[in-house]
Amino acid sequence: MSANARQVEAKELAEILNKYPGEKRYILAMMQDLQGKYNYLPRKGLEMIASRVNVPLSRVYSMATFYKAFSLVPKGRINFKVCDGTACHIKGSNVLIDQIYKHLGIKPGETTSDGEFSIETVNCLGACALAPVLVANDRVHPKVTSAGIVEIIKGYGGQINATDK
Amino acid sequence: MKIIIDRQEVDVNPGATILEAARKAGINIPTLCYHEAFGGQGMCRMCMVEVKTGNTTRIVASCIYPVYEEIEVVTSTPAIEKIRRNIVSLLYRSAPESELMQKLYKEYKCKENRLSINHNERCILCRLCVKACEEMGRSAISAIFRGTEKRVATPFDEASEVCIGCAACAKMCPTKAIEIYETNNERIIWNKTFTLIKCESCGQPFATREELNYIISRTGMEGLDGKHCESCRKKNMAVQISQLVE
Amino acid sequence: MQRTNDLDSRMILVCCGTGCLANGSMEIYNALQRELANTDVQVKTYTKPTGCNGWCEKGPLVKIMPDDITYVQVTAVDVTEIIEKTLRTGEIISRLLYRDPKTKKRVKSHHEINFYKKQHKIALRNIGEIDPASIEDYVSRDGYKAITKVLQEMTPSQVMGEVVRSGLRGRGGGGFPTGLKWRACAAAASSPRYVICNGDEGDPGAFMDRSIMEGDPHTVIEGMIICAYAIGASAGYIYVRDEYSLAVKNLAIAIDNARSRGYLGQNILGSTLSFDIEIVRGGGAFVCGEETALIASIEGNVGETRDKYVFPTEKGLWGQPTIINNVETWANIPVIINKGAQEFASIGTEGSKGTKVFSLVGKVINTGLVEVPMGTTLREIIFDIGGGISGGRDFKAVQTGGPSGGCIPENMLDLEVDFNSLARAGSMMGSGGLIVMDDRTCMVEIARYYVNFLAGESCGKCAPCREGIRALLEILNDICKGKGKEEDLILLQEIGETMQTASLCALGRTAPNPVLSTMRYFKDEYIAHIKDARCPAGVCRDLTEFYISEEFCTGCGLCIKNCPVDAVSGEKKAVHVINQEKCIRCGECINHCKFNAVKVR
Repeated sequence: MSANARQVEAKELAEILNKYPGEKRYILAMMQDLQGKYNYLPRKGLEMIASRVNVPLSRVYSMATFYKAFSLVPKGRINFKVCDGTACHIKGSNVLIDQIYKHLGIKPGETTSDGEFSIETVNCLGACALAPVLVANDRVHPKVTSAGIVEIIKGYGGQINATDK
Repeated sequence: MKIIIDRQEVDVNPGATILEAARKAGINIPTLCYHEAFGGQGMCRMCMVEVKTGNTTRIVASCIYPVYEEIEVVTSTPAIEKIRRNIVSLLYRSAPESELMQKLYKEYKCKENRLSINHNERCILCRLCVKACEEMGRSAISAIFRGTEKRVATPFDEASEVCIGCAACAKMCPTKAIEIYETNNERIIWNKTFTLIKCESCGQPFATREELNYIISRTGMEGLDGKHCESCRKKNMAVQISQLVE
Repeated sequence: MQRTNDLDSRMILVCCGTGCLANGSMEIYNALQRELANTDVQVKTYTKPTGCNGWCEKGPLVKIMPDDITYVQVTAVDVTEIIEKTLRTGEIISRLLYRDPKTKKRVKSHHEINFYKKQHKIALRNIGEIDPASIEDYVSRDGYKAITKVLQEMTPSQVMGEVVRSGLRGRGGGGFPTGLKWRACAAAASSPRYVICNGDEGDPGAFMDRSIMEGDPHTVIEGMIICAYAIGASAGYIYVRDEYSLAVKNLAIAIDNARSRGYLGQNILGSTLSFDIEIVRGGGAFVCGEETALIASIEGNVGETRDKYVFPTEKGLWGQPTIINNVETWANIPVIINKGAQEFASIGTEGSKGTKVFSLVGKVINTGLVEVPMGTTLREIIFDIGGGISGGRDFKAVQTGGPSGGCIPENMLDLEVDFNSLARAGSMMGSGGLIVMDDRTCMVEIARYYVNFLAGESCGKCAPCREGIRALLEILNDICKGKGKEEDLILLQEIGETMQTASLCALGRTAPNPVLSTMRYFKDEYIAHIKDARCPAGVCRDLTEFYISEEFCTGCGLCIKNCPVDAVSGEKKAVHVINQEKCIRCGECINHCKFNAVKVR
């Protein structure tokens, strides 16, 4: 990355972080904004948070790894969240996870190598009457069947049976 | 104020923990995550004791429990020993090669069971290393992730910019879980390589440059010339003092 | 059915809770707005997006008032017909009405439907009836009357007295008497004091708090202001689960509106009370529902818990006296003040006053939110209100209390729901999740599921919880794979008991509950897994085989059509066969077969 680009990145990050007072209690909010903007927590962002609130980087890193809302690696263009709440679980959410692995080759926490898709399991989204629930970016797909997931993947541009599993 | 521990009357300042009071009175309560430099952390739960206040009896972590009223404490009961045995048994799985866990395993007469054992691991997550680094170093390490994935590491598992290589963490670790590789000239710890400074008097390596700089910056000790190890420094000081006296 | 003649003004309530939104209710709302702007129908109509009506199974729901018509499973294409028929002439569109499966009759209003008839709404009183973004709607239904009464007529001590006398107990799971908690905080020496709303609803299967925060945020705000007055607090925080973005949005709008009306801020309603509320979004951690972890999180730390030898009422947020209550608890406060403690206490049982909101989910016909008086039996909730087990299958168990709770078997269905009775049965009320399970649920796998959940959610600080869960999970994973050992039941019990006594917080102490309760009531299933490597429910993949019975198969091909992995083959009218290597045990074939020909062994 060129020196200029590095500076721009720092400036952009600073803009986001400076919205909050430089106090420890705003670390979560700063991280949420970074995650919202970049789809992950850039390392430089964590370092800047640490210096802004005057907390050791190790503690900021602890928070970044503790809270599941954050990822340290970029998520896919389409991020699938499969709800693994109890209601969804007993209605077969693991089948959806298997199907995504079968067609896209990724397991929960992983992103496809082209950066197109990622999958994670999430805790109960509170839409239990619509179990099993799959959220693609912000769109909620209710009552997804094992056949339905195939259509959903296709709908987002995914290749079916791309991997021979 | 006075409380009773194992039928012994013990003096305690209000707000002090049961563990502190017991130690002062010479009563032993087992611990794994306690160190007198840092106080109790309430993590290992080996120090659980029975506390009776009025008509209620309950089991509490003595390293954290603050004394504010006259209580009766019993530090060992069959139920408590069972808890300790089970905790040792569970932690042993994470540090089977360590002397400490092997010793405790025998002491508590733990029984073999079907659970898997990780021979490559040594950390019991007592986090004394993290505490040491906080108090004596620069908070280079911390506990990351959560649940069964929790472990101690430097950010991104890479060499930490702020680590001064003082090895306080390794010295504090009860199970020798922290890898430290040392030669006459170098110390490698947490993936970072440090040059060891040698004492000008005796020639022994005694600290890293980063460690010395940090101590000076924290204590502003101008007398610390950064060239002598502690024992030689003391010897020199003794010589200087005796010269003054003459 | 009375046709309304009052065509002067109508109200159309479109349910815009998360569930109905996922099913397209925003399209319906937008279509209504569009078409009503262009129609020549002579009627003044107000369209309102409301919060979750609780009956997600039949959404999207559209209610028309004052006709009191409830249309179910509406789509955007129905809008034209609704305007032309119902709005123009009052004609009811029969096909959009709910059809009772037992009487086979169409039902006009949700008030007549069993799902709603048997409910008694206090916490949920406004949801589905108001636009959560409208403070006027809230005010028109007794909103902010309670805080006005409190500030003008009551002392802090009187307020706390009312809450104590109401018998209200915390609705988040702890069940601690709310009024006593407030008194303890008010008596603490130090200042400032804080009020916190625990909106970190994490129990999988529970969504009552989400619905309240989305659908009636002002009731939470008003409850908190009343508490602030009672205990002398100046700042409040609503800690909302990160995943609940609509709740965050609606709470923010509500706080803004409350501020501009003078219900929040300096000198509220001209009194000496100054109080304001900030929203803090969670970071995605179930453990942050535990109050000490929640406090740590607000302070800017990881969500690790601490021992509570000194309660947060004495030393909480930033070391100050703090009240933390659950969303549903807050929602009850304005009603207790308005209607009086006695009326509230007249509902419920001896030890558990008032109502409780349950999220009835799983293998039940009417899934959704249900608010009933404490003391209602599980049977009434699941069968009368819930309509019984879906798919015509048999009831097996109901899980209550989430990962801290336990499973209740069929022979205990007449248990009255109340804090004490559920605890006695080896479970607990928890936040109110009721997960109904049928005979196709493996109780061992359920225990494994919960322990696996906690393995990732435990904060990891203390040894008994972290290492105990690790051990329980290893054993349960093995059992579900057919690698269970004879000593396992004893080992599970012993590790579980150590966790119950020695863990640092309630998460660790209650983590063994799903395991211990399923072992208590479904021991034979454990034994089948361990001794015979068999899963009677046909769930555990390594121990189960689906096969098609020659006796029952008619060769209709439904299973072939619905199998997502093409594991079934067969000619028309010939017995079909399942390829065991391809089969993923999803159960679609079982679900679709009309002849009960797919068997499990």
